[in-house]
Order: sequence, then structure tokens, then C-alpha cells
Amino acid sequence: MSPHWRALDIDLSTGRIFNTEFPESRVRLFLGGRGLGAAILRDLTGPGTEPLGSDTPLIFATGPLTGAGVPSGDRFSLSTLSPLTGTVLDTNSGGRLGRSLKRAGWDLLIIRGAAQSLSILKVDNSGGELLPAGEMRGERVSTVLGKLGRTYGKSCGMAVIGPAGERVVRYASIMTERMRAMGRGGAGAVMGSKNLKAIVVMGSGEVKVHDRGRLKVVLEESNRWLRAHPVTSKALPALGTPMLVNICTRAGIFPMANFRRVAVGESKAYSGELLAREFTVGRSGCTGCYIRCGRITEVDGVRGEGPEYESLWALGPNLDITDLKAIIRAAHLCNELGLDTISTGGTLSCAMELGSLDIRRSSLNFGDSEAVLKAIGLIAAREGEGDELAEGSRTLSRKAGAEEYSMQVKGLELPGYDPRGVQGQGLAYATSSRGGCHLRGGYLIAREVLGIPKKVSGREVLGKGGHVARAQDFGAVADSLSSCRFATFALTQEYWSRMVSAVTGWEMSGEDMMRAGERIINLERILNVERGIEPEQDTLPRRFLSEPLGEGACAGEVVRLDDMLEEYYARRGWPGGVPDREKREELGLS
Amino acid sequence: MTAEFARIGRLLFQGGLNNSHSGNLSVRIGDKLVITRRGAMLGELSASDLVPIDLKQDDSGIAIASTEVNVHRAIYRSTSALAIVHSHPRSATALSLRGDNIVPVDVEGRYYFKRVPVFQAKRAIGSEELEGGLPVLLENFPIVMIRGHGAFATGGNLEEGLQISHSLEWSCDILLRCLAMGLSPEVVMDDDGHGDW
Ligand code: SF4
Repeated sequence: MSPHWRALDIDLSTGRIFNTEFPESRVRLFLGGRGLGAAILRDLTGPGTEPLGSDTPLIFATGPLTGAGVPSGDRFSLSTLSPLTGTVLDTNSGGRLGRSLKRAGWDLLIIRGAAQSLSILKVDNSGGELLPAGEMRGERVSTVLGKLGRTYGKSCGMAVIGPAGERVVRYASIMTERMRAMGRGGAGAVMGSKNLKAIVVMGSGEVKVHDRGRLKVVLEESNRWLRAHPVTSKALPALGTPMLVNICTRAGIFPMANFRRVAVGESKAYSGELLAREFTVGRSGCTGCYIRCGRITEVDGVRGEGPEYESLWALGPNLDITDLKAIIRAAHLCNELGLDTISTGGTLSCAMELGSLDIRRSSLNFGDSEAVLKAIGLIAAREGEGDELAEGSRTLSRKAGAEEYSMQVKGLELPGYDPRGVQGQGLAYATSSRGGCHLRGGYLIAREVLGIPKKVSGREVLGKGGHVARAQDFGAVADSLSSCRFATFALTQEYWSRMVSAVTGWEMSGEDMMRAGERIINLERILNVERGIEPEQDTLPRRFLSEPLGEGACAGEVVRLDDMLEEYYARRGWPGGVPDREKREELGLS
Repeated sequence: MTAEFARIGRLLFQGGLNNSHSGNLSVRIGDKLVITRRGAMLGELSASDLVPIDLKQDDSGIAIASTEVNVHRAIYRSTSALAIVHSHPRSATALSLRGDNIVPVDVEGRYYFKRVPVFQAKRAIGSEELEGGLPVLLENFPIVMIRGHGAFATGGNLEEGLQISHSLEWSCDILLRCLAMGLSPEVVMDDDGHGDW
């Protein structure tokens, strides 16, 4: 591997293109992907940088393993600022873009400024080129992907926005050629604000591997584990993430109707089993993945990707909709328009609750699936009520003077796990760097529900500070290597460190990597604090803190956040919630 | 049902047949089984540790069920067992490393077992080898050892599986003590013919 990481750095406003190099010693500190993206983001932005201003960069970063053929490791990250939360934002996805970048000789793609008119950015071994995309204005994601595929060939990597991104909906997503989403936090709106409809990457070189023999050995061992672990070898391939519907229902944490209650009994009408039996016509997955957790579904002759667990929940039971056909239609529509399904569902459910309480007038009612389809279209077009909904649930509820009905943290709508039955997940939501996210917070569902690596009680709070901190660090490692979280169910940090050493020659131990993960989490916290996102925002909607769950396996529980936060800050070395000088020095952060 | 799982799990743990997180239990109910979840603490089972799952088809329960679920399924499919107890008894596991059978020398052990076969597998946890090999043996024996791993016992209910697991471990303790005293098992059994049942 070269001693420098190469970035193609493009200013859309001026058309100037730079080749920037980052010394490997710096890359190593942050591993790549999410970590390196955050470090560069800090270089390029200041406390006053507006997420939708032209100064905000889009930083596409590969990981050290991207393109090297490691299991579920061909992903890439995008770092920017979130127009929904104002926080640091990273999001990653599985498509060919990362691998194509590496093959083109680039480790990173940095995009700044804004184009004069709607454009496509084409990247290859020789650099980048801006092309007009005017005729694609308003076009849906699959239409754009089809056109790009016909023009540039099906083997290139693509990242595109739909109408929602063009209209700068604050939770617009970016979609890859595999209809995999970079969903959370509104990166699609940032891309839209830059007048960038699509990025196409073509690379024709080879991805360098330091020691192929050593990599072969660790890959053989890793694949054996992936094929032995029940979740990666059986549950995810057979049912995809919707397997969680029944599991979470039994655990008493499957939320209904904007978290007003949880589901009890078996969820036969919208379970992963039913989805597999009645609507799934094929599996799909990210580039180079053995697990292939994605579903191709068909309703009334129309095929589409998903829904994944979160989309199924957000656009279904979260809205009191239990008709799986209607849920699939809504999820497909969000993908086509380029909308994050969780925030779409969370905003709609907030509007429904406000309407049901006569706090705000709305055409939306719980259980009305036709109104939901219509509202999704309006949001993407920012028309009528959709314009207000496009701002997200926090803004919507604040305007109505009733923020407590918005189920979000730091402005990001929560996913489908009621934290009252999984206390650690509650702490994870509260402390996640990009707001109410199950993944960035540390996916405690793995421990508290799935029992990976060992089951810990979801109702217990003692020790959760440490569990969450460690899970966050490991999550930052996985995102920075650009590997998939699901593969980490079967493979511990030791395996990843051996893969990194084999591919890069860096010789890192598992603990070295965890240290890098800690550094990344600290850096993100510093970035957020510098942007005015203070520790007071490490909290949860009032409902979770003071309204006990009424039924199910966790009846009577509220989130005991204060106890856990204290332990978490102590474990992190963040007095008052902020890394102090000693901590910064220890991690080499200024 | 939870109370019975909890009682049997606790007795296995307290009896030293399982460590804090090892082993698993299941019962068959028609064409379904209920099995302990992966990594459950048998000494402290509660309702959330029990996973109902189909006997043949994978459903979402597979994500949290014991890693050995397919071995349990295979045993139920080819034997009349209605309950399975999988334990990690220390003495029996030690003795499983030295031969293809464990032959008890104490009277009760001789009565229950005559001999206990030891199954040798390359991959000794939740593997297809176990799915193929264990049911065949359990058609003829109430309990089978997997070399270096642990025991699978079957019964009409969980308590039967518990009893047979405890008996084996008891017999193996005695056998190990005999060996420690320098007595060969053959000599012990020949003495007075007490081992003849
Ligand atoms: S497990 Fe799913 S999300 Fe992860 S890399 Fe594979 S297909 Fe993509």
C-alpha cells in the first residue's frame, strides 16, 4: 500500500480539481472510512459551517479493506454535516463506488462547492469531470440508475439522489446502484444543495494487497465463522433483517404508533416470515457479501428492494399500519424518491399523533396507508403539507409547541426498538454522534436482544455505560474499515486486525484498533461540541423517561438514563460529557 | 413451562454439569420445539430465554436459538425423545478423551448405561456431523458423549434427561477415582461379578 492515501478533491463551484495526499501515519490513526472522514471534515469546516452551505464537503472515503475481497467489506463511507441534526454525519453503504474508487487509484473523493446547474460527476483513473444532468431533473432513482448504467456500463459505482434530494428534504438519502441507501441524516439534501444528481465512478486498476498469503489464511478462518454463526449463516440469509420483527415483539420492544405502545403476541400480519413467504422474489446484497441480507420484493407486479426491518417498522406498525402490501409500497416509494425511511416514518407518525391530539391540523391519521403514500410524494416534492414534513419531526413538533411528541434525539428520528425494554440501547440513542441512531450509538440490540456475543439483560442499567462505550468504539472501527456491522456479529476485532495487517502491512492488534475506535468517537464528540451540540442533548424524548411501558415483556419500565449517563461519561473520561484535555492528549487529538 | 426449564437448568448448574453459560435444553411439542436461547445461563432461565421454533423450517427464532438447534431438531426427527438435555459434565468429558465408549463400574451406572458411546467429530459444536451422527446413536442409547465437548441426553421430559446426565457424571466420577487409585476398570467389574446386570 502506498505511504499516502490519495484524494480526488473537486470544487464544483470553480471546477478546480486537486489531487490531495494524506500521509499514511495520519490515516492509520483513524483507520479510513468514517474515522478519516471525520478528521478531514474537521479540517474543512468550522463551527459556523452550514450543512446546506456550499462550504460543506461531501467526503466519500474508502476503508483500508475496501476492494480487497474481505467478507462484507466492500463498503464505503460518506462524511458530511447533517442538515437534519446539525451534527457530524457519516453514513455508509454497500455498492461498487468504494471498490471502483480504489481501482481508479483514489482512496477518497472530496466534493466541495456547488455546481451552477444540475450535474453528474464522472470519476475515473485520470480524475473527475462534471457533466450536465438537466434532463434528469425530477427523475426517480431507478430511472437515473438505468440511464447511467446504459451510458457508463453496469460495472461502475454510482451514487444518486432522487427528487427528495433535489428538493433538499432534510432527510433525503443517497442511493447506490444496488438500491442500497445512505439513508440517515440527510446526506442526499447536501448533495442536492450542490446541484449534484449523480456520481459515477469507473476504475480499471487493481487493489493492492500487502500480503496475499496471509490474507488467504485469515479469510479462510473468517469465512468459516461466518458460515457457522446462526445469524450470519441462517437468519439473515433466510429472512433478512425483518427476522427482528418477531424477535423484538417477543422481547417486548417492538413499538407501535409513534412509540405509544408496544406490540404484544406474534406479529403474523407483518412478520419477516410472512414477507419471505408471500412477497420475496429474491435476495440481494452489497458488493462482495456472502450474507446478502437484502430482499427483493414484489407487490402487484412491481419489484423493489426491501423493506429492511427499520423501513418495515417505520412505515408500518409505527404508523399503525399492519398491511404488509401497503408497507412494501411505501418503502419502495421512499427508495425511488430518495427518502430515508426511518425519518419519513418518524415524521409522519409525529404528525399523526399531533393530529390525533388536536395539537396540529393534519390530513394524516394512524392506520391510513393511502394517506401515507400521498404524503411521501408530497414530502419529496415539498408540496402542500409535505413542505413542512420535509423539515423533520423535531421542527414540525417545535412549531406546534409540542416537541415531546417527536421521537428523536438531536433531531434524528429513532429506529424501531423501544428503549424502555433495552436500557443500553436507550443510552446508545442518547449518546450517538449523529443523533437517534441504533448503529452509531452502538448496536446494543445485539447484546440485549440477540445475545451476541453473550446475552445481557435489557432491563439492567449497571454496566451499560461500559457496554455502550465499547460497542460504539467497535462500531467506529467497523465503519472506518468500511466493513458491515453484520459481519462483526461473527468476527471479533482480532479477525479484523489480522485482515487489516494482511491488506495494509500496518500490524495492528485488536486493541490498537479499539483504541482507534475510541479516538474516532472522541473526535466526533469534539466536532459536535464545537458546533454547539452540547451534552444537554444527550437525552431522550420525555415519553421514554417518564411514561412506563404499559404491556408486554417489559411492562412498567422507563429508561433510567441518568444512572447510565454518569457511568458512560466516567468510562469515557468525559467530565460533564466533553473530552477533557487529558483525554484529548491521550488520544492525540487537539 | 418456564418454571420447569428454570428448575432443570438450575439443577444442572448447581450440580456442576454446566458452567455459567454452557449447555442447552429443549422440549418437543408436536412439530415445534422450545429451546433455550444462545448463550443462556441455565442457572437463571426466564421466559425470555426460551425460543419456540419449527422442527423443520427456519423462522426468526433461529437468530437467537441455541447454536445446537439443528442437532436437537435432528434428534427429535429420528428418535421418540420429547426432551433433550445438553450438558458439559467434567468427569465424563475427561473420560471421553480416552476411548470410544465409557463403561461405568458402579452398580447404578451399569444398570442405567452398560456403556455410553463417545462420538468423535471434527467440528464438535452445532455441526452437520453431529446432526448426522448423534441421532443414530441416540436411537439405542439414552445418552451420548461428544469427545471433548459434552453430553446429549434424551428423555420423555426434561427431568429424565437431567437424571440420566447426573447419573453418567456420577459414574464417571467413580470411574476416575478408581483410575486414580490405580484400579483398572476391568478388575473392578470382575470382582464378585457385581457389575453383572
Ligand atoms: S450483510 Fe447485508 S448490509 Fe451487510 S454487507 Fe451484506 S448485504 Fe450489505
